[in-house]
Parts: sequence; structure tokens; C-alpha cells
Amino acid sequence: MDDISSLLFDAAERLLIDLSAESAPDETQYLLNWRKIEEMGLPLALVDTERGGIGLEPRDAFELIRVCGRHVTPFPIVETMLSNRFAADAGTKPNCDAVSELRDLSERQREFAALGRAVQMTGALETILSMTVEHVQDRCQFGRPLAKFQVIQHSLARLAGEVAAAAAAGDHAVSKLAEGGDASLMATAIARTRIGEACSMAASTAHQMHGAIGYAREHRLQLYTTALWKWRDEFGSQASWTRLIGRMVLAKGRDSLWPMVTAA
Amino acid sequence: MTRITFPAPVESEVAEKLRAEVRAFLVAAIADRAPLVRAESWNGFDRKFSRALGRRGWLGMTWPKEYGGHERSAFERYVVVEETLAAGAPVAAHWIADRQSGPTLLRYGSESQKREILPRIAAGECVFCIGMSEPDAGSDLASIRTRAERQGDGSWVLNGTKLWTTYAHEADYMILLCRTSGDTSDRHNGVSQLLIDLKKVSGISIRPIFDLMDQHHFNEVHFEDVKLPDSALLGEEGQGWKQVMGELAYERSGPERFLSSIQLLIELVGVLQSRECTAAQTAIGRLFAHLVTLRHMSRGVAALLEAGENPATHAAIVKDLGASFEQELPEIARGLVDEAPDIHAKNDFAAVLAYTMMAAPAFSLRGGTREILRGIIARQIGLR
Repeated sequence: MDDISSLLFDAAERLLIDLSAESAPDETQYLLNWRKIEEMGLPLALVDTERGGIGLEPRDAFELIRVCGRHVTPFPIVETMLSNRFAADAGTKPNCDAVSELRDLSERQREFAALGRAVQMTGALETILSMTVEHVQDRCQFGRPLAKFQVIQHSLARLAGEVAAAAAAGDHAVSKLAEGGDASLMATAIARTRIGEACSMAASTAHQMHGAIGYAREHRLQLYTTALWKWRDEFGSQASWTRLIGRMVLAKGRDSLWPMVTAA
Repeated sequence: MTRITFPAPVESEVAEKLRAEVRAFLVAAIADRAPLVRAESWNGFDRKFSRALGRRGWLGMTWPKEYGGHERSAFERYVVVEETLAAGAPVAAHWIADRQSGPTLLRYGSESQKREILPRIAAGECVFCIGMSEPDAGSDLASIRTRAERQGDGSWVLNGTKLWTTYAHEADYMILLCRTSGDTSDRHNGVSQLLIDLKKVSGISIRPIFDLMDQHHFNEVHFEDVKLPDSALLGEEGQGWKQVMGELAYERSGPERFLSSIQLLIELVGVLQSRECTAAQTAIGRLFAHLVTLRHMSRGVAALLEAGENPATHAAIVKDLGASFEQELPEIARGLVDEAPDIHAKNDFAAVLAYTMMAAPAFSLRGGTREILRGIIARQIGLR
């Protein structure tokens, strides 16, 4: 990550925090806010500089996607970034309009988008963890903060472990994609499988720790948990990614298991 | 801070070249070990095998040459450790010494301790055991009551009992944690580490403790008025707690923390590979994803250790997740294959399943219980 990228991540993070503070923007406000996103260059962040984009390197591109995952907003920023990237790859002129759904993807594009979602999920998981830690520190029951109960501490320790594992799986898949070798498909499948599982555990733990309040529409937790429940099965369901790994491992068989682990 | 990140593992061509050498060596060296015997890797004790590793320069790999080491990187050492474990080689005669006793000596030992012992460990000729747990001090390690009293001439007299001491009955040395001043209410203060030459001193009795498989790895070690020279003190008097905590990151993050059930996974793939079965693909896909991710995290900890950090929380996460993975494996395997577990079976899957199932409870006890690890993680994220 160079300094310019890191400035971009900081600026994007600040903008996303502002945008996510607004609960339900009306249409005018929505367009004004999208304009701010455009001005920052986010829709074209993954497009080459020759085509008017920011031209982020793969690792930085995914880091920006992680930042977007940390702050769920009503704006399809990641979808638009990916759409423009694919359009540019195909020689079509990208534009800054919001794209909420990616259609007719090639296999390679679908893999790229699947990893994008995976990394976006790791961002959301970070937020769920910090939200839940804050909640149990603030919320008092039986005369003390929830955080002081050992049963709560251990649930959150497990959550922290899952979030860390998800991040590790995501980082690894991004490295493999950036390296550009054959190992990328397997690494993406592993990321989707491992991160998807972390999402299930994180969502249920975070809701349990938040109690009834986290189930209310007005609480921000549900923005993240409902997003994860959707994302984990987009660009290939979690189940399909998991079976893909299983097929590859079983096809090579018993004696290749360990060599496959060290090559993955 | 709630975000705990693992650095990317360091890839090195040298380490990968070494991997090929280690694999080739292992194919020949342990060709006669059946899958059930391989599953016992951790507990397999074979001085001959350890000496063979030592001859190849694969023990004490990272230590300075002046102490018999080979000044290679932590990543090269990691390759040797994971390859020997994944192959199910017998590592018990060298690996406590190679993993933690040696590094502890290197860090805190006196010059003569280092010169005398480290080259022998690197040669695969010196077996260590660890004296930490006691009858009344398991997870609550600060309550240890074994005590060494300093005598007028600077020597020590040691009394007390250590429990669950793996391979004490074979070991040449023990690094023992005991109280040297104050009492149990002083908790982390007043404890020290002592280096004991088990083959030389008298007053030590070692009793076997058989596990639920009727195997003898554990022992109860009793010390009665054991006289130790002044030079037995390892590191600083009263700093034992700090020294031990530094050691634990090594103990908790290595590949042994997620490879204990690898032989069962290998046999399971062997049984399932000829089946066109969605449930099998799903289960194997998921287990593989967990295994690969754990390995990245563990190698990330190796990078932190190499950089001179003390990644106690990272190590706790690897061990907690790793033990859960290892313990899940037999339950998943028996859900997929119609084969009753039987440790005496000719069928490799049935035998390895039986062994792994019975070994599994220990995975989340040894080297720090799951509950202790989660306490460490909870502290890191600000809950304690």
C-alpha cells in the first residue's frame, strides 16, 4: 500500500462514515451523496488511469473494498466499482452511474467479484466485532457490564477468532490473485467457504450479545447481519464454493492431500 | 483494539526447496509406519529418528552455529516441523526441546548451560520435558507449590510434585517452574525456572500415569529434598512467570496445533475419493478450507515470532481454532463413513478413527485449555 492509496482509504472511510450516518435519505439527498462518491473517484477506483480511473493495484483495490465493507451504506459502491472495472477490461467506456446488479459475468469476472464480496464481508465482520465489544462494555445487567461475565467474554473471544480467521483467508486469496498464478481459484473458494462460515457464527453471536435491541430495524447491527446473509451466497453460493474445493481435493486423492495444503 | 490481524506468511524458495528434501527423506525414513502409528506422531518416541533429523541439520535450525545450530530462518524450521507432523513421523524424542526448551535456554540460559546442552539438542541426542502443571495447579499455574529453597552456599533444595509431565520417564532434562520465594498468594511473583539434569540428581521419583487408551506418556514427578547446584537457576530468580509466558507463544501457535488429526483426514479422503457424493464434497471442502486457513495463520505467527514480537493473543487464537478443528474431524468422519471405530481393526480408517476420537479430548487441554485461551483473547479485545 503506498501513501496515496492510504490517503484514499482514509478519505473513503470518512465519507462512508458520514454516509452511513443518514438512515433513510430521500431521492435528492441520495443523488447528492452519490455525487460525493463520484467526486472521490470511487466508481472508477479499479479502472486504469488511462481510462480515467484511479488504477489501484489488486491488493489496494481489495483493501478499498474492505473499507467499504466496514461501513454499510445504501449505495452500491462496490458493485459499481466492479462493473466499471469489467467494462474497462472489455473495452467499453465506464461511467459513474450507480450499478446495483452485476449481470452476464464471465467465469473470471465472477471469481473476481466473488473475492470482492469475500473481502467486503471481512470488513463488515470487523465492524460487527467492534460494535458487539462496545455494546457489552456499555450495557449493564445484574449490576455490572455484560463484558464482565465470563460467558460473554468467551463468546466474544470466539467471535474475535472467527473474524481473524476470515481476514486471514481473505488476505491470502487476495495475495494469490495478485500473484496471478493457478492457485487463485482454490484460494478464492477457500476464502468464500471460511469467511461464509465466520459470517454465520458472527451474525448469530452478535445478535445474541446485543439482545432484543439488535433485532430492531432502527439498530445498525441488522444492516450488517442482513448484508452478510445476502453477500455470502452471491457470485456463487457458499455451498457451491465449498463443493468446488471438495471436488478438487477428492479428485487428487489421499496421497495428494498434504501437498495440496502446502500448495494452497 | 478489537482487530487482530495475522501478517501474510513469508514465502521463500529456500524453504520450498527444503520441503522437497524433507519429503524425500521422510518417505524412506518412516516407510514402515502404518497409518495408525502415524496418527500417534506427537507421541511417537524414537531417539534414532531424532538423531537422523539432527544429522541432517533439521533440529535447532534457527540457533547460532556456535551452539550447534544452523542459523536458518524460522520459515525453514516451520517446513521441517509441519512436514514431519503431516507425515506422522515420531517427533516426541526431540520436539519439546527443539520447540521450546532450546529457545528458552538460548534466551535465558547461562553460557555454560548453552554450550553444554544446545549442541546436544541440535544433534537429536537430548530429550526435554516440561515441569509446569501440579496436582493442585493446572490452568491456575500461578498456584504452584513446588518449591526450591536457596541454601547458604547458593545451592537449591527442591520439594514438590509435578503432574502430566509428558515423557519425563525418557527425558534427560526438565525445565521446571517452581516457587523460590513468597507463597501462592504472591501469584506471579517469586517463581523461577530451574534446569534439572534428571539423569544425575537423586531424590526424584517418576510414576507413570496411563491415559484412557492405556498408553503411558504422562507422569507424576515427585521431588524430595533434591539438591541442585547454584547453576540450576535458569534466567533470573523471580522472573519465571515472565519467562514462561514468553515460551507459550511458541508452544501454542505451531503446526502441531491443527495437525493432530491430519492422518484421519488423509484416511477419510482415501475412503471418499471414489464416491460421487455431494455430502462428501461439502465436508471435505469445508475441512480443507479450515486447514489451509489455520496454516496461514500459524505461519503468520511464525513471522511475528521471527520479527521478535510476542504474539500471545495470535497464538491463543490459532490454538483455540486449531483444537476445535482437530476435535471436529472424528465426528465429521463418522458421519460420512459406515465404519465402526476400532483401534485393533485391519481397516486403516477404522483404526485411525478410533485413535483420533480417543486422543481428541486432550487437544483442547494440553498447552493451555480452551478456557484459558479464550480468557487471553478476551483480555486483548478489552473485556478483562
